[in-house]
Amino acid sequence: MEATAFMPIGFGLITIGAGLGIGKLAAAAAEGIARQPEASDKISGAVNLPLFLLEGVAILAEVFTFLMLIL
Amino acid sequence: MIVGGEQAHGSSVMDQVGDNIIHHVSNSSLDHPLIHFPHIYGIDLSVTKHVFMLWVVAALVSITVIIPIQKYLRRKNTAPSGLVNAIESIVQFIRDSIVKPNVGPKWVNTWTPLILTFFFFILFANGIGMIPIFDLLGVFNRFIMGVPANDNHNFINNLLHGGVTATGNFNVTAALATITFFTIIIAGTKAHGFIQHWKNLVPHGLAWPIYIILIPIELMGLLVKPFALTMRLAANMTGGHIALLALLSLMAIFAEMFHSVAAGIGVAFISVPLAAAISGLEIIVVMVQAYVFTLLTAVFVGMAINVHH
Repeated sequence: MEATAFMPIGFGLITIGAGLGIGKLAAAAAEGIARQPEASDKISGAVNLPLFLLEGVAILAEVFTFLMLIL
Repeated sequence: MIVGGEQAHGSSVMDQVGDNIIHHVSNSSLDHPLIHFPHIYGIDLSVTKHVFMLWVVAALVSITVIIPIQKYLRRKNTAPSGLVNAIESIVQFIRDSIVKPNVGPKWVNTWTPLILTFFFFILFANGIGMIPIFDLLGVFNRFIMGVPANDNHNFINNLLHGGVTATGNFNVTAALATITFFTIIIAGTKAHGFIQHWKNLVPHGLAWPIYIILIPIELMGLLVKPFALTMRLAANMTGGHIALLALLSLMAIFAEMFHSVAAGIGVAFISVPLAAAISGLEIIVVMVQAYVFTLLTAVFVGMAINVHH
C-alpha cells in the first residue's frame, strides 16, 4: 500500500482535533456566559478569534484532502 | 439545474453528477471566454465567468454602498434615512467592534476604510453566489428566446459556464489575502518604522539559541496568515455549494441505482428540504465568512501595530 493512502487518515485526525478544540471553546463560552451573562459580549469576542483559527486548520485539512483526490 | 452547452456525456450517472457539481463551482474554461482579449506576455487576458462576476460585484457595491454614501455626504446636516441608515449601522459595527478593539484607537481611522471595503466586497461576492439569477437567465434564454443550448456565440449561453461565486475561486481570495499581507507590513512600517517593524517580529531579550528556532517560525507565520485566509474563504464558499449540489444530486443517483423514477422522487422528499436547510446555513456562512476575513485582517494589522513583547 502506498504511503499516500494513509494521508487522508491523518487529515481526518486533524479534523477530529480541531473539532475537539472547537467543542471545548463552545462549552467554556457557554459556561462562562451562564455564570456571567453581563460579560457575554467580551466572552464571545474572546472566543471568536481562536474559533476561526481552529476552523481554518480543519478547512486546510479538507482542502489538502480534496486536492489529493483530484490531483 | 440548467447547464450550458457542453454537458459532459459520461458513461454513468455518477460521472455526470460529479462533472455537473464541478462545473457549478469552478471557473469557466478559457475555451469559452465571455470577452476575448489578446495574450499579453503569454498570459491569456480573456474574461472568464469569475472575472465577470467580480465586475458585477464591483458594480453592485458601487450602486448600493458608494453612491448612496457620496450622495449623503453632499447633503449637510440631515439625519440619514433608508439605505444609508442600514449602511451606517454596519459601518459602525465594524469600526467599533472589529477594528477599534484590535487596531487601537490611534489607528482606527487609518485602517477602517480598507477593512470596510474588504467586508462589503466579500459579503457581496459571497452573497451573489446564493442567488440563482443565471439559471433563471438560462431558462429565459432557452424557452422564451428559443436559443438552443449548444449555441456557443450566444452571450447568455456563455454566461452559464462556470460557477457564480467569485470568492469560491482560490485566485480571487489569494489576491485579497495578498492585499492583507502587504497591509500588515505597511501598518507595521507606519507605526514603528521599517527596520523596527521587522525587529518586532520576534521578542527581544531572549537567549540566542532560541532565535534560531523562532525567526524561521515567525517568517513562516508571516506567509501562513494570508495563506490560511485564502484557503478559509475559498474552501468555505466552494464546500457549501458542493454540499448543496451533492444533496440535490442524490435524486439522480438513487433513481439510477434502483432503476425507477419513484426512488428518485422518494429521495426528493428528503433531499430537497435538506438542501433548503443547507441553503439557510449557507446564508449564515456567507455573512460569517465576510466577518471572519475582516476580523482576521483587523487582528493581523493590530498585531503589527500593538506589539506585545
